[in-house]
Amino acid sequence: MYECRKVIQSPIFLGLFLLFSVYNIYLIVSSSDHKEELKIVNELIDTYGRDISDTSLAQLDQDIQKEMTQLKRSAGLEFQSVHELLENMSLEEQEAYSQEQWNQIQQLAVKEMYFNTARSIDESYAEIDIQATGEGEVRMYGLSGSAAFYLLQEYEKLDKRFEELVKNGEQKQWFFAGKAYFMHSFLFQTVFRHIIIESLLLIVLATALITAYEFEQKTQLLIFSTKRGRKLMKDKFSASIAIALFTMIFLLGITLGTFFIVFDYSHVWSTSISSAFNWEYNFPYIAWWDISVGTFLWLAAGIVLAGGLLISCLTFALATVVKNSYIAFAGISLFFVAVLLLPSFMSKSSILFFITGYNLSQLLLGISNSFMGGGLTGSRNYEWLTVSCWTLIAAGICFVAYRRFTKTDIG
Amino acid sequence: MRMIWNEMKKILTWRMLTFLLLVNAVLYFLLISFDIEYFPNGRPALDGYRLGIEMIEEYGVQMDEEEMLDFRRQFESRKEEANEYLQAHPEFAEAGIDDYEELVTSVWDNEERQNLHSQIMHEQQIDLFWELQERSRLIDFHDTKEMIGFEPNTLQQTRFDELLNEGKYQAYPEVVIQNFKEFIVNVGITILFSVVLLISPFILKDRTRRLLDLQYTSKIGRSLYKTKLIAGILSAGLVITVLLAFYFSLYAQNGTSPYFGLGVNAFIANLTWYDPTFLQYIWLCILAIYVIGLIFTMLAMSVSSVVPNFVTLIGIQIPLIFVMLLMGFNILLSHIISVQSPQWLVPGLYGLLGIVSVGLLIYLMRRENFRDISE
Amino acid sequence: MLVVKEVSKQYGDFTALRDIQLEFETGLYGLLAPNGAGKTTLIKMLATLLYPTKGEVLYNGNNIIDMDSCYRELLGYLPQHFGYYKNYSPKQYLLYLSALKGISKKEALPKIIELLDKVALGDVMNKKMKKFSGGMVQRVGIAQALLNDPKILILDEPTAGLDPKERARFRNLLTDLARSRLVIVSTHIVSDIESIANEIIMIKNQQILYKDSVETICGTLDGAVFETSMEFEQLESFRQNYVLLSEKQEYGKMIVRFIHKETPLVDWLPVQPQLEDVFLYEYRDETNGTGQ
Repeated sequence: MYECRKVIQSPIFLGLFLLFSVYNIYLIVSSSDHKEELKIVNELIDTYGRDISDTSLAQLDQDIQKEMTQLKRSAGLEFQSVHELLENMSLEEQEAYSQEQWNQIQQLAVKEMYFNTARSIDESYAEIDIQATGEGEVRMYGLSGSAAFYLLQEYEKLDKRFEELVKNGEQKQWFFAGKAYFMHSFLFQTVFRHIIIESLLLIVLATALITAYEFEQKTQLLIFSTKRGRKLMKDKFSASIAIALFTMIFLLGITLGTFFIVFDYSHVWSTSISSAFNWEYNFPYIAWWDISVGTFLWLAAGIVLAGGLLISCLTFALATVVKNSYIAFAGISLFFVAVLLLPSFMSKSSILFFITGYNLSQLLLGISNSFMGGGLTGSRNYEWLTVSCWTLIAAGICFVAYRRFTKTDIG
Repeated sequence: MRMIWNEMKKILTWRMLTFLLLVNAVLYFLLISFDIEYFPNGRPALDGYRLGIEMIEEYGVQMDEEEMLDFRRQFESRKEEANEYLQAHPEFAEAGIDDYEELVTSVWDNEERQNLHSQIMHEQQIDLFWELQERSRLIDFHDTKEMIGFEPNTLQQTRFDELLNEGKYQAYPEVVIQNFKEFIVNVGITILFSVVLLISPFILKDRTRRLLDLQYTSKIGRSLYKTKLIAGILSAGLVITVLLAFYFSLYAQNGTSPYFGLGVNAFIANLTWYDPTFLQYIWLCILAIYVIGLIFTMLAMSVSSVVPNFVTLIGIQIPLIFVMLLMGFNILLSHIISVQSPQWLVPGLYGLLGIVSVGLLIYLMRRENFRDISE
Repeated sequence: MLVVKEVSKQYGDFTALRDIQLEFETGLYGLLAPNGAGKTTLIKMLATLLYPTKGEVLYNGNNIIDMDSCYRELLGYLPQHFGYYKNYSPKQYLLYLSALKGISKKEALPKIIELLDKVALGDVMNKKMKKFSGGMVQRVGIAQALLNDPKILILDEPTAGLDPKERARFRNLLTDLARSRLVIVSTHIVSDIESIANEIIMIKNQQILYKDSVETICGTLDGAVFETSMEFEQLESFRQNYVLLSEKQEYGKMIVRFIHKETPLVDWLPVQPQLEDVFLYEYRDETNGTGQ
């Protein structure tokens, strides 16, 4: 397709793409100090199965005790837990161990940490009071009126889902300890946000380039008077969409490829995303559906693709109207930030406070909380409603822009 | 002069100014408004802010040992007031809390005490208790004033000792300077975006519209390029000035002027290579924003002089802005004189950036003189 | 007055002009060549936009590049394509350019009004140029070239976009101007300059082919231009053997104008050679290259 070539042959587009890819790889590799420790989870799953049951826990406990006895013997020390041992250990004592021994101690400490967390799942989940959290949110954001009512209702629904989740035992599956490694945030917040912002920059540039190309190269008179005429804009639209799709697929591919080469997720793909180990801050991640880590990844990638394509459509519409790539780029960037801020201008007693949150910017930047309950964008329908509403909006805008273009004078 | 003004009129068009207004509105709400609307941001920030002013009024901008003693005495007498309060409310005695010390040391022992504590602090928000908490923090800090909060290298240690010997130790609450640092970085970012958006298309536009043929055959000829560069710098300077004036008039609402005379090293956790007063520090940051803004103006004009189209114009500048957002502002503005980076680094970076941007322009100016105008 | 001395211009391996030697005095010169022959290159060198790879251009003995603004002060130039600001009115635009030309606003204003009247744009002088037709923009271009009352006026394809009436008026304007200054008009439209140019310069194979008056140039084809009529069917074979200049239909027959330098046939009608004939004859083998 000739229109795509205009982008692919532009050195700046390729240059930026490469630069972003290299930066993402650097970002992942430079935060991978703990990648070896993560493998312990794989080991646990191999040995004890994915689901945490009383029997498998007892088995784990036994094995830990066994190793600990060995350790006690070799160290000639008495201690209750490895944690205690490490806590009281001086630097000199540490240096007395051989590298191998030291690794063993470390490994054991990590296992112990997993064991302790697993053992206390029931206890910590019993402490979670979803309703109270909802009330806390209402207070924190200073909500009142229909907004407060709405949020509390959402939390009520979440409470039911939470009970169901606990009953299903979705939380009792091994995953990388959230409070220690923050793998969910790292992947779906840090890494995904980088991918999203980088793809959006590339997509907006490419779309603006393709759409405004003829006007900037001053070939508009020639091109739009050919047989294809103004229908060429349709080709330009398809080309923009294609470029956007490829950009995102490649960027996602390169970045996530690196990520999963560096971090071994092979054993946790089917672990539920609502695992109790996926608990990083005050609140565990509670998905509305029983979805696995693997599924969540696909869904997140799906949101990125949908969001990117929609932004490409909006850019196309704007560039068709203004016929200038600079204004189109700046305009879309401005728009992206403006809708991000939109909810904060709404009254905190009005349901508009939430409705305006159903926008692309919030959806894309809050991707790590997609499909999760809790928070301001935690409604069960948030993701698909946002995507479908904006698809309608983008389609409408594109249609109007195209119609207008077919009737506008080209000078 | 008239020619410079003509070129400036081409940059500062109504359309562009309206656009800048929008950009600034959005960036203001995204970045800056928080540092102004939420200052001091809740508690104990508010108490730190109030206490700092009180300290400056009573002890001036530097506290000697005697004044510190007085500060401790005041702490004790305020503690008495707190004790009286606690004794006047029987529920504390019931929970086994007789005095202030008891309240703060045993608060996490059981839920009842926790509730009482949060009652005073969060629900009733009694100033006295917040103030005491802040005072006690400052005293703790003073007691450990010979320790640095991070692992220092030799140079940092030397600087630290030097200040300590001069009796300039860190004693005042840091809310104000922290707030200012966040504010100024956000203002810096907003201004950076504004000038880059303003200046970038300017030179490219004349080229792609084929205006050079006419411009360069007129009497002024190719030196018009220089005029354009000057016009660009002046326009950027003008916009920076207006925006700074606007944002600082908002900053004035924060009411930080009582702190202006304080040396920046007197704030807690703010060790710096030099010791200007807070006001001087503000001026320094303003200067830094001008320099950053003008460096990026010059870079934008350089890029604008060589790229073939708008997309490349934006594309080349994206990495520059990225680097600036990721680390540039942190090093060049937030920690402009902080001991966090080596003493030579920040001036070195400014120098380097300055030389590169000016050098590029000089090169392009020369090139413009001998270039065939044939596009 | 203006001397082009052994000037060559190369773009990398491509030679645009080779060893050009020209002298200009007061009067009107027509620079005539097909597109891509190097006309615009030569013009741009005279306008200091391009630098010669070899040789120099002298004005009263001084290198024009060394003269710098002193030379450009004397120069009026209308490029083949030129830019303008869509949101400026002609008046604003000319004011902007007069500032660049070093004319004070006080001096410039009456001059601008006078010039815009001269090119029949007086009525729209405060309208934004966004809505202007190609011919109107071109006339603004002509006006700007005259702003500084130039001693040297260089016009590159000045009649592009002008209608026949405007063209005629423009020719009168040129004759007028050429009385007291050097005017160089580059064009590939022969009729624009045929009647008014004191001398015609033709470029071929990167070199000067002719620099002479219209009569002299036409004289080179004296006795070699003929017209004859024939049936349409005969035309094809005739084309193979002779250099055709033009063909037209009249009363069901073809009238053909052509060149033949040897003994003519009897029924051929010898005609007076025109500049156009020379043009067509000299450039008969050249395929139109892409213009600059």
